Amino acid sequence: MRGMGEYQLEVNGDTQPVSAPDHWTLLEVLRYRLGLTGSKQGCDKGDCGACTVLVDGKPVLACLTLARASEGRAITTIEGLMPAHLRAGGTGADPLQQAFDRCGALQCGFCQPGMILSARALLDRCPQPSREDMRDALSGNLCRCTGYTQIFEAIESAVAEKLQLQPKLRSWEAQRAAKESTR
Amino acid sequence: MSARDLHGPGAPWGPHEPGSKANVDFKVVGRAHAKVDGLAKATGAAVYADDIVLPGMLHAKTLRSPHAHAKIRRIDVSKARALKGVHAVITGDAMPMKYGVIPWTPDENALAVDKVRFIGDPVAAVAAIDEDTANAALKLIEVEYELLHAFFDPHESLVRAEPAIHEGRKEGNISKSVQLEFGAVETALAGADVVVEDDYFFHGSTHAPIEPHCAVATYSPEGVLTLWSATQITHYVHRALARVLELPAHRIRVIQPCLGGAFGGKSDPFSLEFCVAKLAMLTGRAVKMLWTREEVFYAHRGRHPMYLHYRSGATKDGKLTGVDAKILIDGGSYSSFGLVTTYYSGQLLTGPYHFPTYRFDSTRVFTNKPPCGPKRGHGSVQPRFAFEVQLDQLAEKLALDPIEIRRRNFQGDFTRTVNGQRVTSNGFLQCLDEVERASGWKARRGKLGPGRGLGVAGSMYISGTNYPVYPNDMPQAGVQLKVDRSGLVTVFTGGNDIGQGSNSMCAYIVAEELGIPLERIRVVAADTDLCPVDLGAYSSRVTFMVGNATIDACRKLREKLVAAVAEKWQCAPSRVRLIEGLVIDLDDTSRSLTSVEAFHLAETKFDTLGSTGSYNTPKLGGDYRGGTIGASPAYSFTAHVVDASVDTETGRITVHDVWIAHDCGRALNPMIVAGQMEGSAYMGLAEALYEEHDVNRFGLHRGPSLLDYRLPTSLDTPEFRALIVESIDPEGPYGAKEAGEGPLHPCLPALSNAIYDAVGIRLKHLPFTPAKVLAALRAKQESAPLAAQGGKR
Amino acid sequence: MLRLPKFELCTPTTVAEAVALLAESPDAMIVAGGTDLVPNMKHELFTPSRVVSLAQVRELRGICRNADGSLAIGAMTSLAEVAASELVRAQAPALAQACSLVAGPQLRTMGTLGGNVLLDTRCQWYNQTYFWREALGFCMKKDGEVCHVVKGGKNCVAAASNDSAPPLMTLGATLEFASPRGRRAIAIDDFWVADGIFNKKVERDEVLVSIQVPKAPAGHRGAYGKLRDRGSIDFPLLGVAVRLDLDAQGAVEHADVVVTALAAQPKRITKLDAILRGQRPGTPEFEAAVAEAAALAHKQCKPLPNIPGDADYRRDMVPVYVKRTLLAASRGEGPVHHV
Repeated sequence: MRGMGEYQLEVNGDTQPVSAPDHWTLLEVLRYRLGLTGSKQGCDKGDCGACTVLVDGKPVLACLTLARASEGRAITTIEGLMPAHLRAGGTGADPLQQAFDRCGALQCGFCQPGMILSARALLDRCPQPSREDMRDALSGNLCRCTGYTQIFEAIESAVAEKLQLQPKLRSWEAQRAAKESTR
Repeated sequence: MSARDLHGPGAPWGPHEPGSKANVDFKVVGRAHAKVDGLAKATGAAVYADDIVLPGMLHAKTLRSPHAHAKIRRIDVSKARALKGVHAVITGDAMPMKYGVIPWTPDENALAVDKVRFIGDPVAAVAAIDEDTANAALKLIEVEYELLHAFFDPHESLVRAEPAIHEGRKEGNISKSVQLEFGAVETALAGADVVVEDDYFFHGSTHAPIEPHCAVATYSPEGVLTLWSATQITHYVHRALARVLELPAHRIRVIQPCLGGAFGGKSDPFSLEFCVAKLAMLTGRAVKMLWTREEVFYAHRGRHPMYLHYRSGATKDGKLTGVDAKILIDGGSYSSFGLVTTYYSGQLLTGPYHFPTYRFDSTRVFTNKPPCGPKRGHGSVQPRFAFEVQLDQLAEKLALDPIEIRRRNFQGDFTRTVNGQRVTSNGFLQCLDEVERASGWKARRGKLGPGRGLGVAGSMYISGTNYPVYPNDMPQAGVQLKVDRSGLVTVFTGGNDIGQGSNSMCAYIVAEELGIPLERIRVVAADTDLCPVDLGAYSSRVTFMVGNATIDACRKLREKLVAAVAEKWQCAPSRVRLIEGLVIDLDDTSRSLTSVEAFHLAETKFDTLGSTGSYNTPKLGGDYRGGTIGASPAYSFTAHVVDASVDTETGRITVHDVWIAHDCGRALNPMIVAGQMEGSAYMGLAEALYEEHDVNRFGLHRGPSLLDYRLPTSLDTPEFRALIVESIDPEGPYGAKEAGEGPLHPCLPALSNAIYDAVGIRLKHLPFTPAKVLAALRAKQESAPLAAQGGKR
Repeated sequence: MLRLPKFELCTPTTVAEAVALLAESPDAMIVAGGTDLVPNMKHELFTPSRVVSLAQVRELRGICRNADGSLAIGAMTSLAEVAASELVRAQAPALAQACSLVAGPQLRTMGTLGGNVLLDTRCQWYNQTYFWREALGFCMKKDGEVCHVVKGGKNCVAAASNDSAPPLMTLGATLEFASPRGRRAIAIDDFWVADGIFNKKVERDEVLVSIQVPKAPAGHRGAYGKLRDRGSIDFPLLGVAVRLDLDAQGAVEHADVVVTALAAQPKRITKLDAILRGQRPGTPEFEAAVAEAAALAHKQCKPLPNIPGDADYRRDMVPVYVKRTLLAASRGEGPVHHV
């Protein structure tokens, strides 16, 4: 059938056959054909970043990517991070996912798969980013819940854990520490 | 208040005596634990409404009105029905029963009946084998409209009753009007040393959760309707479905899956919930409807635009004598929560300052725009903005420091407001102290260089209200506990976790009360078949009410555990402590059991283990009509200092820092509280600087997309400094109060006040666009060319 | 989810194949990064029966220096690559800066330089869904007759919104196209027409192959200034590219300013070279000349209420951004952006 594609996509390390109409986006194929619903849809058309996936290690928007044009590229979705971490001999979720969990960065959680993948790509190219680096790298991922602070703190926590550094005290921790020292 | 409501703010156990209020006596509460669903969300495993795929599921789409105000003369769906792949097409006559989230004002239909009231009003719905087919069918539906005059300006709705947006109302196009006066305001203002009178405008803004609304329904052969919906109030959706579908409520099950943000925007029952339900019933298939982002903008229910006029008087030492407010509220096309909004616009201003006299006159009108409703800080963010700017104007006239004037008017704790609301704990003064200290207010103010300044504002907000939207005396929150022999405790709560962390809050409380690790607790929430009723996630009620209900359930279960162990050990129950997965004897440390063993003992002694708990508010509120609206068992208090600068050439405002001090009673998890504070401040700044929800001259939404409705990105967001103040409320769960909405309020006026401090212009009309700032700077320069340098000082 | 209209997708691997696929189907369209065409198709602004993706055409990617020192940038080179390229940053700083400010990070990774050059014009009455445009009664750019920007207007005034166009114009770039008729090159200055409906001189069957940027003199300075509401994601409300070539003594030898997001095509500020020529950056005379140039730009630029935002404010910002971008270029700095 014209406009109906049978093709292969490499998703999270596995190459698998896909059968979907040509006008389906990568987001639609991931969510509704492959059952990988971790990639979210927020704005329909490239304005929010919730559908961010990594293609050859770089964050792109799945809602604007024509699925079949991604043949031959390595696609990583949020579901791919933990298995990759386990394959590499780690335990549990990817350290960045754990840091997001640990630091309260997940409120409603809807923007976070995309956010975490943008942050993962940032750390892969820049192991110790400044807040400015983070603001730049995450500026295509809208979060409506956090005001971004706890997202930055999560990334800093993951960096601190990896490099065995002492993370900076958060504002409310510093406030508590100050109170306890005057007590 | 019955005993079930009040357990005191102390720790259940701990090194000190039970009931100790110190944070150190808590094992779980007061610490930064991860959330129960954090890892599921971080790994993509969490299931949101649109992640649900059921066998044979159909996809539904909505046909919407292209006209702002029109009668429907004729609808012909025959071509759509005939399209291959279409399973059902419904229009308004399929569900003629009107509904409304407030039972007194049912003026909505699932699909338009006879007329449409804004561009985007739902008219018909199609269920088909896929979205493309459903979309194609929509284009085949023929609707003939008779156009009516459309209202876009609320001032016109105020004076013009015809054509009526809602027929058969004696008030014309007025949705609700409230006039209340407490004390002799005119006399008080006449006797004031200084009076400030001014106009303010608060524009419309919307919630824009990143998850669009989505609902999935099935109808079983036995006649049970199941609806999964991205709602923040399962219980009201349940009630509304029963009414509109004319089904007994016991045949309806409503489940809220993981929710991708709400902020008030998922509080009303929505058209898509009724449509998928009806379509599932008609087709015998599962039906899903996912709204596009554009449709979410039409569904709206966001911040009401308000035209606010305030007059405030003070003595020369800065004490308020009276406050007089007149407010025109643009409600959009339906009532939604509007009755409450109208009251809130006046009722929630009476703290943290003492008003000796107060009057407000608030009128909400209908216009042909997307309906407004409750957005974070429902009805009270707008008057708060106006009043806190006016308070700065008073301080300026009196040559008082803006923080000082706020201190001088502090109402105190354990007091009553001028409109008869009971205030319990009140940490507002500490909030002011914290932001003053942390911002370096004294040392830095006036010394930040040209174009940069500091501003302060305060606020209060409710922790739930004792006004359930439908009158009843049953508990507002219920919780049920079930114990498994493995040691797992399952909490069943009707409370809606919308990302604020209420499921985690329940788990922390159970862990604290039963002395078991968090990993042995699971929370099942917001499923009407499984969970006891809770009124849902609105009015910042969940921590306070569900938290208290959870404690209540735990204490009943704990009593059984202690009794069973005490019997085995032949000791007084007061010696038995549940702590960190163990049960210990305080007087004989050689003796201990695991909590699992204790559960087994208790199940053996009593019966299958479980318990229920509930919460209801005490009798509250002023003794007058509407006196219970805005009556809360406890109020939170907030102060912000904003550090901002203005580029006088471009008019662009840069916010450098926001210090947020918030009295949340007790921070059950300070990290989550800080997240709520930061997120609130973000949302406030966003609407102050970037966002505007409005229609153009045709009544069309100006830009219903996340490109044109500009949510700030990480590059546009300043540093937030969350400072937690813990006043330990006597009635909150362990002393906790709300933290999810209050911390938004002061952000906008504090920013306006900072801009005044920076460049001497009073921004009274939101949003503060660069064009407006530039115009104000030019106006200032023209009126006082010599004083142009260095702001007002 | 907002759906794409149905089409057949072709994924050629060579330019020749792409040209052939395009020629076969009378309403075929090319998609490069998809960041412009895909949302526009979701809005039913374009409903081609065939879409030819250039994603797999390797020969269209990459940046290289030709023997004469000019740069050849493959049309499918991503905006992120152009922004990060040392070659581009050194030889065409205004272009690198402009590319670094297009939309947001993901869109710069997906979006290509060729795609940005060929970006469709934008308008608040046009870049909307089919439902919205139907409720409006459409506009002359698509499906309708009238203009909602200029009452009674006969020409479409949708705004050129590509950040890369102004710097490429100041750099004297050339666009190279392939078609069934072979190859042709056109100076980007000659590429635009004052028609918001379609503002480019390109045939439907032509594929943009590369963007050639001539070697700039040793004293070349360039910068880009962008006005937008947010620090990321947004299209320009105003874009200003500046070129200053300094002579061996450090005085301005040649100056050029091109402004965009005003009307259907980017606009060169005329008579500006005469004002700035001979001035030495850092001197009061230079600053005065910059102020004069800014005033000149203000006189020449009259933005229309085509894209969202206050048109009067956008006009007010023309001299401010021209001044700031000139000063940034003179100092070897930039971009001029509020973040």
